[in-house]
Amino acid sequence: MALLEVLNLTKTFGGLSANQDISFSVQEGELVGIIGPNGAGKTTLFNCISGFYPVSSGKVIFNGKNITALKAHETARRGLARTFQIYAASGDLTVIENVMVGCFMRTRSRSKAQAAAEEILNEFNLTGIGDVFVGELPVAVQKRVTMATALGSGPRLLLLDEVAAGLTPNEIEEIMANIRHIHSHLGIAVMLIEHVMELVMKVSDRVMVLDYGRKIADGPPRTVAKDPEVIKAYLGERFVREHQEML
Amino acid sequence: METLKSAFDFSDFPRLDISIAGIIAIFLLVFPLFSHSAFAMATMIQFLMFSVYGMGWNTIGGYGGQVDLGKAQYVGIGAYTTAVLLIRWNIPFWFSMPLGVCLAMAWSFIIGYPLFRLKGHYFAIATIATSLVLMDLFSVWEFVGAARGLEISPIKYHYPDFWRLIFKKDIYYYYVILGFFFVGILYVNGFRRSRLGFQLRSIRDNEEMASSLGINVHWAKIKTYAIATAFVSVVGSFHACYIKNIEPQDTMGLDLSILIALMAMLGGAGSLWGPIIGAAVLIPLKSYLKAWLGGAAGLAGIDLVIYAVIIMLISALEPRGIWGIVEKVRRRRWQ
Repeated sequence: MALLEVLNLTKTFGGLSANQDISFSVQEGELVGIIGPNGAGKTTLFNCISGFYPVSSGKVIFNGKNITALKAHETARRGLARTFQIYAASGDLTVIENVMVGCFMRTRSRSKAQAAAEEILNEFNLTGIGDVFVGELPVAVQKRVTMATALGSGPRLLLLDEVAAGLTPNEIEEIMANIRHIHSHLGIAVMLIEHVMELVMKVSDRVMVLDYGRKIADGPPRTVAKDPEVIKAYLGERFVREHQEML
Repeated sequence: METLKSAFDFSDFPRLDISIAGIIAIFLLVFPLFSHSAFAMATMIQFLMFSVYGMGWNTIGGYGGQVDLGKAQYVGIGAYTTAVLLIRWNIPFWFSMPLGVCLAMAWSFIIGYPLFRLKGHYFAIATIATSLVLMDLFSVWEFVGAARGLEISPIKYHYPDFWRLIFKKDIYYYYVILGFFFVGILYVNGFRRSRLGFQLRSIRDNEEMASSLGINVHWAKIKTYAIATAFVSVVGSFHACYIKNIEPQDTMGLDLSILIALMAMLGGAGSLWGPIIGAAVLIPLKSYLKAWLGGAAGLAGIDLVIYAVIIMLISALEPRGIWGIVEKVRRRRWQ
């Protein structure tokens, strides 16, 4: 049985359909990349799955239960964590406090939350900066902190929304190491919205492509990258020429 | 057990802070033993009362970031519960105070549920409105003395009456409110590092992020609002016994609500010491203004002008108040 099953999901804003009749499933421990041009409905899809938006029609089934109508905090409590594209840190919480908020979902005890948070920071190579306010950190580190925080809530599926956007190649390497740790070492299923192709193609088990709110392709990275429709809608001929060796 | 321990755990503060707090605590304990004027005593009691009001406000307004300008309605509920029960049925303070807290919290749930659907300025305005509506209701409700209010006549009781909190000497009142003051500090100290405390700070930071971490944002706010209400209602009950003469305007008026919020904001919203610092600055100022200008201070509205200037200064210079300035200076030194 699939961990996440999305059936004919449609989300409309007035006359605009941001997601149209999208169906797919994510297996336990799988890493699925989502790519597509801006405005294709990728973030909307995350918002619908995680309960931030009510869906217009269709079903979201997580872990065998219908979670379509649940609110964001309820889906989170069932093991569905996410990060946000834009992280507005006002800087009131330190790194460890941030991760502890995530950990407090699983425990009432402060000492347990703190121990769990320290362990996660350790796994993410963030140990030295536990007492720094998040707002004072570079964006790349902030993004890793949000991943650590989401992980603190102990999810079975983690939705990552453009964690590598605007980062340098070195920073992308660090993020990639974190994602691999979550996926391979902890065995948590991940869905990843990303424009950085090097990242998506390298880490994903499967890639799904959205365009104008529809799913136009779904399969192993290599197959998807050769799909004429995907090349036309998103990747472009040049990408394929330049990345022969990667594919 | 862990909660109780963390209430007494101040170890995350620098040594200097703990030493200063300790000296102040000892001073507060022995203050009445020194010779002092009645005026100084009254000012100290006011300072302690407003500190506790501010601590309550600080839970929802400071840590939670929800600017609440309607706390006075709960002062009123506490004060009226205690006064009505004492006058009509001779029920002592130590019974009526918890009952007042229950009533105030019940009311806070009823109005908190819809109020927290609003955000930011709209929330603040709505809290003002609910408080004023309650004040108007009490002003026409004959059972509670309508606009005349209620008077606890001390002649009926034998001094000192510890059950009913009827004393002739202010020193007794001083130690009762000092007890509440210390309990309040310990509670907030535990609260700020509790699960709810962390969740609230996360809500203040970013509500969407908070709900993605399994926090029921609406419910967390309502719960904390009720906690803040309990603080304020306890002091309201105390106010009834201490002042002995309560009117809707004094206990539920807008200026009281604003003063409560201002204490915490001036001292430093979202910090343990903030409300105390704020009260330590504002209450003497208020008392001396009153003594200096007599009744004219209220009439001329000079006190309100000064509060307005303070609000503008805080929002323009340092939103985290006096404590925010202290922390900034400290960080600069360390760097």
